[in-house]
Amino acid sequence: MALTTAPDPTRRGTGSVRPDANRRGTGRIRHGEGLAGYVFLSPWLIGLMGITAIPMLLSLYLSFTNYDILTPWSEVEWVGLANYERMFTSDTSWWHSVRVTLSFALIAVPLKLAAALGVALLLNRAWRGVGLFRGLFYLPSLLGGSVALAIVWVNMFNRDGAFNSFLALFGIQGKPWVNDPDWALETLMVLAIWQFGAPMVIFLAGLKQVPTELYEAAAVDGAGKFRQFVNVTLPMLSPVIFFNLVLETINGFQGFTAAFVLSNGTGGPVDSTLMYTLNLYITGFTNLEMGYASAMAWVFLIAIAIITVIFFSTGRFWVHYSDGEDR
Amino acid sequence: MHPATHPTASAPDGRTYRTPLLRRRLLRGLVAAVVALPLVGAAAACGDDAASDGKTTISIFWWGGEARAQLTEQALDLYTQKNPDVVFEKVWQANQGYFDKLATLTAGGNPPDIFQIDDNFLTEYAARNATLDLKPYQESGDLDTSKFPPSLLQYGVVDGKLAGLAAGENTQGLVYNKTLVTKNGLPEPTTGMSWEEHIAWAEEVSKKTGVPGTMDASAIDKAFWVWLRQQGKDLYSGNDLGFTVEDVTRWFELWKDARERGATPTPDVIHEGNATDITKQLVVTGKAATSWVWVNQMPELKKNTSDELGVIAYPGDPSGQWARASMYWSVFRGSKNADIAVDVINFLANDADAVKLLGTDRGLPSNLDLRRVVSDDTTDEAMKQSIAVETELAKTFGEAPQVPIKGHSKVRAELIKAAENAQYGRATPAESAAQFVEACKAAIAS
Repeated sequence: MALTTAPDPTRRGTGSVRPDANRRGTGRIRHGEGLAGYVFLSPWLIGLMGITAIPMLLSLYLSFTNYDILTPWSEVEWVGLANYERMFTSDTSWWHSVRVTLSFALIAVPLKLAAALGVALLLNRAWRGVGLFRGLFYLPSLLGGSVALAIVWVNMFNRDGAFNSFLALFGIQGKPWVNDPDWALETLMVLAIWQFGAPMVIFLAGLKQVPTELYEAAAVDGAGKFRQFVNVTLPMLSPVIFFNLVLETINGFQGFTAAFVLSNGTGGPVDSTLMYTLNLYITGFTNLEMGYASAMAWVFLIAIAIITVIFFSTGRFWVHYSDGEDR
Repeated sequence: MHPATHPTASAPDGRTYRTPLLRRRLLRGLVAAVVALPLVGAAAACGDDAASDGKTTISIFWWGGEARAQLTEQALDLYTQKNPDVVFEKVWQANQGYFDKLATLTAGGNPPDIFQIDDNFLTEYAARNATLDLKPYQESGDLDTSKFPPSLLQYGVVDGKLAGLAAGENTQGLVYNKTLVTKNGLPEPTTGMSWEEHIAWAEEVSKKTGVPGTMDASAIDKAFWVWLRQQGKDLYSGNDLGFTVEDVTRWFELWKDARERGATPTPDVIHEGNATDITKQLVVTGKAATSWVWVNQMPELKKNTSDELGVIAYPGDPSGQWARASMYWSVFRGSKNADIAVDVINFLANDADAVKLLGTDRGLPSNLDLRRVVSDDTTDEAMKQSIAVETELAKTFGEAPQVPIKGHSKVRAELIKAAENAQYGRATPAESAAQFVEACKAAIAS
């Protein structure tokens, strides 16, 4: 009996063992393949871990300390939420940099997108040489956030810069734009808007996707050019607008290079160009308050994440995907 | 049945196993290589200190211009000539961004053995234990400071430790455009003029020449400091501020008056002049007749203009000025070759040939014997002039103040902000002053 009962559990046992063994076997092979995958991934993985993920986690830790760059890590003191408390309660220059960054993004981003869309509409025709114009308008954004460009900009908008010479032709007395606290930030906005090439190209691609039948149908229904733009172009383009809006907003918040160059790294004149990232840089590297700067960086990250989430959650009210009629 | 010994079963088994096994070994090797590569690199980097040929590499970092770089490199080559076992890794850059870079290098665990530093940052570094205390070397005689003026040496002491060795001595110098002034039949300014007389003179220059007579000094900490000392105050007193809101208000009002009388340029030009870059000083760019600098910067300024320049003390009683260490050489506390590094800075300060090479680029040589030699030997007109003026001023120097405290770099930035707020007319002198003092208190408390 013992023998007859024994096989049952053993069979059940082998039955349960066999799949296990199988699993282990395939697991082994998968393990090997997985490893191969990781090896091929390793350049990217090491980059992600070493350059992004690990430093980010370290900065999260540092944001709760009084790390000052010069002191060795082992002597760093844990200060709890003190850095975050200071930011929200007593640091006036932090609030100031938040205001500067917000006003920069709120003005520069919509204007940049409007310029990009406007020029894209103009260039969305089969004129001869239109390709050349597209290239020319795209050119400034190729220069990106370069230092050289910022230096040229500063010299153009100086008291004796090219822009004022141009104004002088019309008898207008210009201002020392970049050295005037009332105008320095606006100069940076113009620089950002001028680089509308990248969103413009994306708009152009989007415009090409709009079916001409829709315009024809609208025209038959008696819609003029403006009605066509509002009721056909804009809704059809809304996914592209959404994409550009999210991207450019994030870019706008992160503006650093031009502000750094224009103000010699100080955020001046009178803190008028103290963008958030520049303030963070000064706090960490000049004032040596790296723990506090890390806290600023995390608040910044969370703020951008919240703004992006808001965009995505409001998107469904105004973004129309052409394949979504059934929704 | 013994599956393990079954030939037909073992053959395919073997085949299916061998491939992954081989592959696995290969992969392990690859992974190991990928992981090990940076380590090898790091090991190689560590090996730099004691290269295979038995030479020691000392890294040294300073800020300055092309001319300083040449002189310093020559002086260091001279050290290698005399000590063939020591070679240098020399890195230099412009003043702007220097301290950001130095902090980053230190944080990255890769700081230079020797670095140039000034009184704006000495305490920041010393208080955080980043600098080696040079006192023991001084006591053992490895660092010879016997020919140094005591006050100059003292100006490198933070919390009882010798944090930096003065690389030179300088003092505040008011540089004016001599050509412009004399061409227009105006009197040259002189040491000992009061602040009011200076502003009146500048107003006169503006009227006669069309070039604003003086740069607005309200944002310039070294001018504010001299002025405070002349009022019996100081920038710092212990770990506190040495002045009150009322003092700052008076200082800002002095300059508001100067601006209203047309003695200074417009605020945007003043803002340009507040940049520390020597080539942007208004006396050089022709946007003002006077700039507030250090006496030893005369030769460098002279290289940027064809006009004749003159240099005098800042206005007021010249005893408000002191023998300041223009900059220091400091040794990183964690340097593996600290003894050699100290020997190098000893060489730069006390070796006759090296000091002669370096001249007055970093200020008057700290070693008094060699200072005499250098001033007798120099052929550079501007250098002669700055030596003569500083030697003259040294007769009336007041006692050196304490080295600026931790937070000073922020205090300087706040002074610029507050002064510019008043200059652009966005706040009254009293408002800016209150804002400045409040910001200072926060800066030195943290």
